[in-house]
Amino acid sequence: MIEIRDLSLAFPNPASPDGRTVVLRDFNLSVAPGEFIAIVGASGVGKSTLLRVVAGLVPPNSGTVSHAQGGGPLTGRRPYGLVFQDARLLPWRTVRANVAFGLEGLGLSRAERRRRAEEALALVGLADKAGRWPHQLSGGQRQRVAIARALAVDPDLLMMDEPFGALDAITRQSLQDELLDLWRRTAKTILFVTHDIDEAVYLADRVILLAGSPATVRSEDHIATPRPRARDDSAARALVTRIRDRLSDLMDGGGI
Amino acid sequence: MTSPTPPDQPGAALPAPGKRIPPSAFLAKPSRRHRGLWALLGVIVFLAVWEAVPRLGLVRPVLLPPPSAIPQAFVAEVRSGQWTDAIVHSLVHYFWGLLIGSVTGIAAGVLTGMSRRLEDFTSWVVRLLRPIPGLAWVPFAIIWFGVTPTAATFIIVLGVFWINYFAALGAVQAVDRDLLELADAFGHRSTLAKLVKIVLPAASGAILAGLRTGLGQAWMSVVAAELFGVPGLGQRMMQASSLLATDIVIVYMATMALFYGLVDMGFVAVRDRLMRWKA
Repeated sequence: MIEIRDLSLAFPNPASPDGRTVVLRDFNLSVAPGEFIAIVGASGVGKSTLLRVVAGLVPPNSGTVSHAQGGGPLTGRRPYGLVFQDARLLPWRTVRANVAFGLEGLGLSRAERRRRAEEALALVGLADKAGRWPHQLSGGQRQRVAIARALAVDPDLLMMDEPFGALDAITRQSLQDELLDLWRRTAKTILFVTHDIDEAVYLADRVILLAGSPATVRSEDHIATPRPRARDDSAARALVTRIRDRLSDLMDGGGI
Repeated sequence: MTSPTPPDQPGAALPAPGKRIPPSAFLAKPSRRHRGLWALLGVIVFLAVWEAVPRLGLVRPVLLPPPSAIPQAFVAEVRSGQWTDAIVHSLVHYFWGLLIGSVTGIAAGVLTGMSRRLEDFTSWVVRLLRPIPGLAWVPFAIIWFGVTPTAATFIIVLGVFWINYFAALGAVQAVDRDLLELADAFGHRSTLAKLVKIVLPAASGAILAGLRTGLGQAWMSVVAAELFGVPGLGQRMMQASSLLATDIVIVYMATMALFYGLVDMGFVAVRDRLMRWKA
């Protein structure tokens, strides 16, 4: 459904001999509909940049992102929904109007936008907060609004850039469980970027380790454990340790 | 503000450690009244000292008329019809100067803020023109427009323009890049969509602050612009001062203060309504 082929990305860098820094090299990924994929890696490795390339916010230097429309025709919808690390709500819009942000410009009537926004808010359990201002919400609630905003456009692919990284541990865990629940109910395909290996292993079907400079895929693990998963599952703990060891080997070995 | 009860005071309910005692409404109310009383007291003392200075013969009343002489002067000025005349003229200059100066200033500031190239292009011209005070344009205003309301309006426009230009420019340049990325991510990629959905609302607080500064600046410019003979309150003040009718001068000073206060209060009410999303 989403095919990423030989993706490379470089930024201009006058300090380097060839005038640019290669961030990402030969990245390949095919994502099946309904799949939950986590991309892990150290901070600054280029995970967020990868999401931005896939979302078309940053053009790649080479390679392609092809997007076979798995979710039906794109009328009244957008191909991607993005959730950032900061909730990035617009403070001058009510919660409802924030969720409707991506629905504007799709040729929907005002009533239709309102209905879709409220549906998405109900999905994240914030139907009663529709008329509030963002500053009246807690950090966890704001991030749920951001998720509702991404879901409201009914995207084929939901991309999340360390969405729970700025939250406290308790809120983070409850949002992780809420996200799994949402994923089960909406059958969305999710590309989830995080530096938290535990989180990746707890959530995803597939965990892709991105490391090095330029970043390349260093490992890929399939996790077949059915959900709901136990957070202290021994197989999961073992996998977390393996991925962490790989990452530190790469760092020690000068691979980064 | 009420100060919380000292926790070590005997008999006071002990709060949880690290917690502030919430000020009760019962305690807060007299405090707000106190603040009002102090403000009123300040005004009374100010008027009393002003009244005393000419009455005690420290300054001749013709140089500084006591406040008690002002109401009488005001009534006489209104009866003669001069007050209404001057005010209507000045308000017309004020209104048009403010409107034209604010709209063009905000538009120019927003455009320049959105375009790096335009900012570079205008940077030196702005540096050259900005430090020239509005009053320095009076000769040109007279040459171009004559001693007319247009000339007075022109002077007011200049003062108001720069305030709004710089407020809008700074506000637009300070818009969070992440919000522009958000607009891109959710399909709002055109410049117009970004302007309407992100830039203008994000910059609105600072733009409104500039507009408010302009409301005050415009009154200053009104007086300056009318000093050279365009009918209005500035001109009337000049006439009065040449006749040593200082009480009339004060009548107009008070009139301006009153109008400024009213306009500012109205503006703040509208602004608070527009900015109710602010924490």
